[in-house]
Amino acid sequence: MTYWRLITDDGVTASFGLAADECLAARVGAGESEPTLRLYTYRSHCALVGRFQNLDNEVYREYCQAHGVALNRRPTGGGAIIMGADQLGVALTIPGTGLGQPQGGQPQGVAPTYAHARELMAQFSAGVVNGLRALGVAASFRRKNDIEVNGRKIVGLGIYRAPSGGLLFHASLLVGLDIPLMLRVLQTPFEKISDKEIATIAQRITTVRREIGREIELNEVRARVADGYAAAFGVSLVPGNFTAVERRAISNLQSQKYDTAEWVNQTTAVPDTTGAAKLKTPAGLLDVRVTLAGSTLKAVFIGGDFFAAEGAVVDLEASLRWHSAEPNAVAATLACARAARADDLAALPLDSLTQVVQQAIRRAQVAESAARSDPYGCFVSPTGTQPEMTQSESAYA
Amino acid sequence: MPTNGHYSFPPELYYDRANHVWVRRDGEAATIGLDALGLESLGDMAYISLQAIGLPVRRGESLGSLEAAKMVGDLIAPIGGLIAARNEAVLSDPGLINRDPYGAGWIVQLTPSEWASDSAELVHGADLAPWVEAEIERYRAQGWID
Repeated sequence: MTYWRLITDDGVTASFGLAADECLAARVGAGESEPTLRLYTYRSHCALVGRFQNLDNEVYREYCQAHGVALNRRPTGGGAIIMGADQLGVALTIPGTGLGQPQGGQPQGVAPTYAHARELMAQFSAGVVNGLRALGVAASFRRKNDIEVNGRKIVGLGIYRAPSGGLLFHASLLVGLDIPLMLRVLQTPFEKISDKEIATIAQRITTVRREIGREIELNEVRARVADGYAAAFGVSLVPGNFTAVERRAISNLQSQKYDTAEWVNQTTAVPDTTGAAKLKTPAGLLDVRVTLAGSTLKAVFIGGDFFAAEGAVVDLEASLRWHSAEPNAVAATLACARAARADDLAALPLDSLTQVVQQAIRRAQVAESAARSDPYGCFVSPTGTQPEMTQSESAYA
Repeated sequence: MPTNGHYSFPPELYYDRANHVWVRRDGEAATIGLDALGLESLGDMAYISLQAIGLPVRRGESLGSLEAAKMVGDLIAPIGGLIAARNEAVLSDPGLINRDPYGAGWIVQLTPSEWASDSAELVHGADLAPWVEAEIERYRAQGWID
């Protein structure tokens, strides 16, 4: 039987929470600490941006400072998130080799390098998925980095590989979520906070409480997730805490990194750029907004007044997330994604959709600087308004 | 050139087994980038940051960080030396690494400090073809490539 330490701690500061996760990843990779599953919560509330995001593109800094919302930067990638007492943080730290295979298989080595991100993500997600299913939530790992319920995101995922080879799997599980607060903290496509905007967010994300239709304590969710990991990896979880040596190392990492403005406010040479395009089609209006990081599509929002089955548009959006912005690649992926939901998207003409997405990408590509770009968040899509395209205008697209 | 499908491994280069990083000796300098299988694992590169020019690094230490999809990791130095140059083009457009990994997508240049001992740890010459074959087979067995 393999043993993992289980640490549960609540109400941690943003800098402690992140420093602890990175510190354990480094130490576990070096054989200095034991593999650890940490299930914890942050002090309400904090906003955590992805490793390379520009904080001022992602959060409303003034609001956060005025309302005590701590800001920090994760070691893992992806979009900005809000964390607090109703969001369960999951941090699994294991060596880069010797990872047990899920579903009770024999332990096997994982490549001592950048093992394929998608497979690692699916593997590490198994514990969270098991835990949610035990609660009656029909969760599944479907995307490159999300766990969803009926097309709605309920968990965001990320992986960080430490120089020592240790792996940190990060997940943020929404037990509950104050959407109006999220809209005040994270920059979104919406200029106001109304029922319509809240409903748009609610179409794309969900929570445990919403899915099971009752109030549930975070501790109950935590217990099911712990059981889920034990079952998925065939390990026994032993409750424990940080050692004195680990606490000193975490404290050092806090003061040298996570408590410094240099880390929190750092920027990247790759500008975020956004573009938007609209197109009137016989099926209705298509309203597309995209965010690019260099030549990569980070986020896509497809709106309008055309008819589509619930969840089908979200599938289209997700198919292009972290995807090359190259026009032919975009067209091919959209064709595959639409074919997969052909009945649900029958009213949406593929040619028009491809045209308007490519046009939005081109507009993002001509944006000259990050200062002109508009932001996006982890659970939402890029903002930006552009004039509507007519069918004839789209012909040049 | 050992290839299997579209996985190209130029024979004149040296390769780090653990991290799929390549090294090319260019006179007194050594140029470093990511090889085809490393990029296959990571997917499209989104961001990269690099240590400052002039910083000394040892083999196995971090040259910087990179993000592809949601996988974040360090670029591990395959050899030791002083950082002599950074490819500013890939810093502002990391997708260049995917588009031209052995050419315009080079990442960093070092002035090697322990070339003889460090390069002995890398795959090169007659060892290259069997290593590439074994790595591709391993990736297939893991289901990471078709």
